[in-house]
Amino acid sequence: MSLTKVYDAPTVFRHLNGIMNIYKPAGMKVKHVKNAVLHNIAKDLNEMKVREPRKLHTPLLEPGGDANPLLRKINSIDLADHILATGPRYQISDIRCALVAGLGIHTSGVLLFGINKGINQSQQVQRNRPVRAYHVTGRLGMATETHFPDARITVRADYRHVHPDRVSALAASMQASHQRKMYELCGVDLQSQAAYEIACKGLLRPADNTQPVIYGIKLIDFQRPDFTLEIHAINECEEYLASLINEVGIELRTVAHCTSIRCIRHGHYGVETSLLRHGWNLRGVVKNMREQRQVLQKHPHLINQDKIELRND
Amino acid sequence: MLINTRKVCLLLSRQYTTKAKRSLLMQDKSKILTYTPKVSDPKKRRVYAWGFQETGALGLQTNIKKSKERYTEMVHHPTRMQFSVNTDISDIAAGYGFSAFAVERSDGQTLFGSGLNTDSQLGFQVKGTFKDPKKLDVLIYPTPINLPRLEHETDADMKIRCMSAGRAHLVVVTQNGTIFSMGNNSYGQCGRAIIENEDYRGSALIHRIYEKEICGGNDDIVSVVCGQDHTMFLTRLGSVYTCGWGADGQTGKGNYETNGVIAQAKGDINGEHIVKLACASDCVLAINEKGDVFGWGNSEYGQLDDSENAETQVSTPRALALTKGIGKIQDIAAGGSFCMALNEEGLVYTWGYGILGFGPYVEQTSKPQQLLPPLFGRNDFSDQTTVVSIGCGVFHMGAINSDGDLFMWGKNRFGHLGLGHKKDQFFPFKTAVNGKVIKVAFGVDHTLALCRPFM
Repeated sequence: MSLTKVYDAPTVFRHLNGIMNIYKPAGMKVKHVKNAVLHNIAKDLNEMKVREPRKLHTPLLEPGGDANPLLRKINSIDLADHILATGPRYQISDIRCALVAGLGIHTSGVLLFGINKGINQSQQVQRNRPVRAYHVTGRLGMATETHFPDARITVRADYRHVHPDRVSALAASMQASHQRKMYELCGVDLQSQAAYEIACKGLLRPADNTQPVIYGIKLIDFQRPDFTLEIHAINECEEYLASLINEVGIELRTVAHCTSIRCIRHGHYGVETSLLRHGWNLRGVVKNMREQRQVLQKHPHLINQDKIELRND
Repeated sequence: MLINTRKVCLLLSRQYTTKAKRSLLMQDKSKILTYTPKVSDPKKRRVYAWGFQETGALGLQTNIKKSKERYTEMVHHPTRMQFSVNTDISDIAAGYGFSAFAVERSDGQTLFGSGLNTDSQLGFQVKGTFKDPKKLDVLIYPTPINLPRLEHETDADMKIRCMSAGRAHLVVVTQNGTIFSMGNNSYGQCGRAIIENEDYRGSALIHRIYEKEICGGNDDIVSVVCGQDHTMFLTRLGSVYTCGWGADGQTGKGNYETNGVIAQAKGDINGEHIVKLACASDCVLAINEKGDVFGWGNSEYGQLDDSENAETQVSTPRALALTKGIGKIQDIAAGGSFCMALNEEGLVYTWGYGILGFGPYVEQTSKPQQLLPPLFGRNDFSDQTTVVSIGCGVFHMGAINSDGDLFMWGKNRFGHLGLGHKKDQFFPFKTAVNGKVIKVAFGVDHTLALCRPFM
């Protein structure tokens, strides 16, 4: 079958199913991102060839006879179904859309949505809780009330003694401590044979979504006073990551607050294929969903998870 | 009307944002508290201790009354010793209910001890008036052990080179090559003749031996290892000299005699360059520089030989056939009923009887079995991590990985695994120590860890 150009909005809408990967900017709520994307989709759909108004079963006028030409023209059209009466053909509420996992207002990066029939898949992805990777940047020397820069400063401190190797060492130790926590959260008695067997497998996924679990912490950039940690986690939220930066600051014998959080990976959905703000339109979304479908084909365990350990394949 | 409501809406939302902003903008920046951090010296070491507290071996308590209270009996979590805050500790040793610390201080003291002193294993410790001294059986806080000095011996001479503690004796080698042994000598473990009905309690006797007398002038002692009631000296050229209890052949002299004569252990290790000895009770393992394993002593659980009709006591050191297939060995440890080996690739093997780290069902294996690297913190996020050192007490085992994390498993007598509870641990589990672990001293019911701070 040869490729054909589609001008027909209903055809596009019928195929508008799947998971899309949106790059959320910082300082914008998830709700607003979702509304902006859906609004643009609806707008673009309405600009295409939309469905004509329905025909009436019984025309208003008898065939033949004398009548106003305009009246004759709308004779058989159901005016109640006309876009001037109903509003645009496609509206935001027509598109079903569900979030896989939310990001806070200060966070930027990968945000996954399930659209229409893709909601089914997105819910399964959500239930499997894939690992999210973050680049979290902190600034030493100042602590704030909420651990974010837009709050009152509580303490200032000196940070000249902080060196990158010490931060790396601390990150390694925090990572090991969190991995130990992971065994306690996987819901198995530590004194049992089952605990030994799953410990041999390495990293485990948590049994429920109540407690944040951190798998990896690594220092990737250090330019005093700013430092960036790469954090791999499940069940985290941005407040948790910010308080982690605060703790790092305290452990380093100074104070710190979190200046930016960027989600660079959610399961196998990376930031590279994420849809930037200028691409938040129908064309971009359709292209993006096609790309994301391949991710799911390559990694079917994102939907059907049958193992307790963390998978990397 | 419509315009009005819009105005109200606008006003309301504007007011909200400005309020949050105002609080931020109106903050008086000059009044922010400044915190001046107290940074610890990264080269300084600190000691964490956990396990049975009542013997005083942890050296954590300063109040006798408080240390006798019931709830202070055990310390489940690694706790930083206050003693290590103001004293730089260079080495640690843990015996059966007592600990010894080699320190670097300006006042000339080089050795401190804490814990049980019923056999004067921590030297002569008294309290009270000169005329009516009270002998101390338990030291709850590290106390200096005065090593008797000859006139020409300086502070630098008396610095500790190596030391080890057994059931009730302590052996220390100083920088100038003098060996001091103190405590119980009922089996000759102090390297002197056994005296019938000797009273060790409150004894001020610290025996002095010169290394020349043991290994001659061209060689010197680099390490001392105490088993339960015997002592072994390892020299720079790789010879092993032993004394003490030999009922299981743990002195390796080819007989089962018990005496205080320090003599060389021969057998298969004769001519080999031994680089490390390991012993916690009565089974001894040794490795040479090529990474071959030798063993002698108790083999009741098939630690040294798994063949049928194997003798349960080996009095002559022999090269082990058991560890042949697991590569070049870089570290060893021998507990009460089990043995451990660490090969060049950083893989840990255990065999013998007891909690070996393979879950609750595996109690005994005669062949060395490998503990999988994920148990020691290797995973996708830290794929370079390997085990660098292993050790064990009589009932528990431990391993340190390249990140400086300590993993412990085994019987959890008095919480000496430091996991925060009293339940046994059937596979390696990370102990939460706030520092990079350099060395661990495994006692029979307590554990000490020498660490470097992160910051």
